[in-house]
Amino acid sequence: MTEFPYTKKYLATCLLAVTTFPVLAQQPAPRFDDGTVNLGAARGEIGHWNSGVGNLSENFVEMEGAFLVHPEEIDKVAPFQPWALQLVKERLATLGRDDPHPRCMPPGGPRQFHTPWGLEIVHDKGLDRILVMSGGANRSWREIWMDGREHPDLATYTPTFFGHSVGHWEGDTLVVDSVGFNERFWFARRPTGMPHTEQLHLVERISRPDHDTLHYEVTIDDPGAYTRPWTASWDVPWSTFPMAEYFCQDNNLDLEHIVGPGD
Amino acid sequence: MSLRLFTRLLLVSAAFITPVASSHHSFTAQYDADRPVTLTGYLIKMDWRNPHVYFFLEVETEDGDYVEWAFEMGSPIAMERNGWTRNSVSVGDILEVEGSLARDGSNLVNANTVTLADSGRRLFAGSSREESASD
Repeated sequence: MTEFPYTKKYLATCLLAVTTFPVLAQQPAPRFDDGTVNLGAARGEIGHWNSGVGNLSENFVEMEGAFLVHPEEIDKVAPFQPWALQLVKERLATLGRDDPHPRCMPPGGPRQFHTPWGLEIVHDKGLDRILVMSGGANRSWREIWMDGREHPDLATYTPTFFGHSVGHWEGDTLVVDSVGFNERFWFARRPTGMPHTEQLHLVERISRPDHDTLHYEVTIDDPGAYTRPWTASWDVPWSTFPMAEYFCQDNNLDLEHIVGPGD
Repeated sequence: MSLRLFTRLLLVSAAFITPVASSHHSFTAQYDADRPVTLTGYLIKMDWRNPHVYFFLEVETEDGDYVEWAFEMGSPIAMERNGWTRNSVSVGDILEVEGSLARDGSNLVNANTVTLADSGRRLFAGSSREESASD
């Protein structure tokens, strides 16, 4: 029998090197002095999260931009109630022409995490809140209260585009609970046309597994539009560009031309 | 080859290999990819503004009149990250544009490629189609 030329120790060392090198190549997420993960740029660093990616579907469906290659598969995206399924089909068939987003409405809900031109996450330690600031859309921002407060009484709360958000840390994961949304936005970029109601309740889990990756997971609970809660997730990459100025309202010449497929 | 021209060629290359990311409306709700068009005209105005760069050409018709056409491209952010500036072309330049016609029948085109007629230099390879916010 021919003797195997490599020892088990040698092979184990090679295996360890191959499996650990990619991990070692990743820079860890920055942290504050108190050990909390910093979901934004570290002191002196330039960069932002290069949003614009991500698909809000709980199952794989083949996509071409915001649209399904096979539109009949839309019922795989989420557990729609019948009226919501009919509405999303109409919105897809009309090519997304009625989307409030091109009218420069804010990107409420998970849409903020895949709207183009970036986002910054700013830890406001002074007021014990975290700001999620959109670079694109109408350059708006959202507050996540970290001071232990509860949601307001929705019976007297006027629903808003970003709702009311409270957060807490579970280990290195920021968990955000949001309610109080209005119905004047489409909460997903891809697929386009996903309906929701004022009963929308989101639980977002946001983490930074390494310096260059923001992991975003959202559970959508809307008993007005869906038959059960459902979850989608994606990774947002880091960009070393500064977040540029972008105001949708500046020269929005498109509106009169967004006609859809016609009659 | 001058250093400046070489730099420009590099920028053109970068424009083709750098994927532009994202803007703000559904391409297909506004333009028809099955209606391609090529138009040549004088640049009369450049709107280097968000959410999309727009520029305007005077295009000569068959009977010698001039008609204004509008052309939409990506965001200035994408353009500038690919090396272009608002001064990369000047009013009066003759541009040849390939793109897709607007669905509503107006004199509007989503520009895919723009070529400077004098030199053949290709500009602005950055349609808003690739960067559409809901497309």
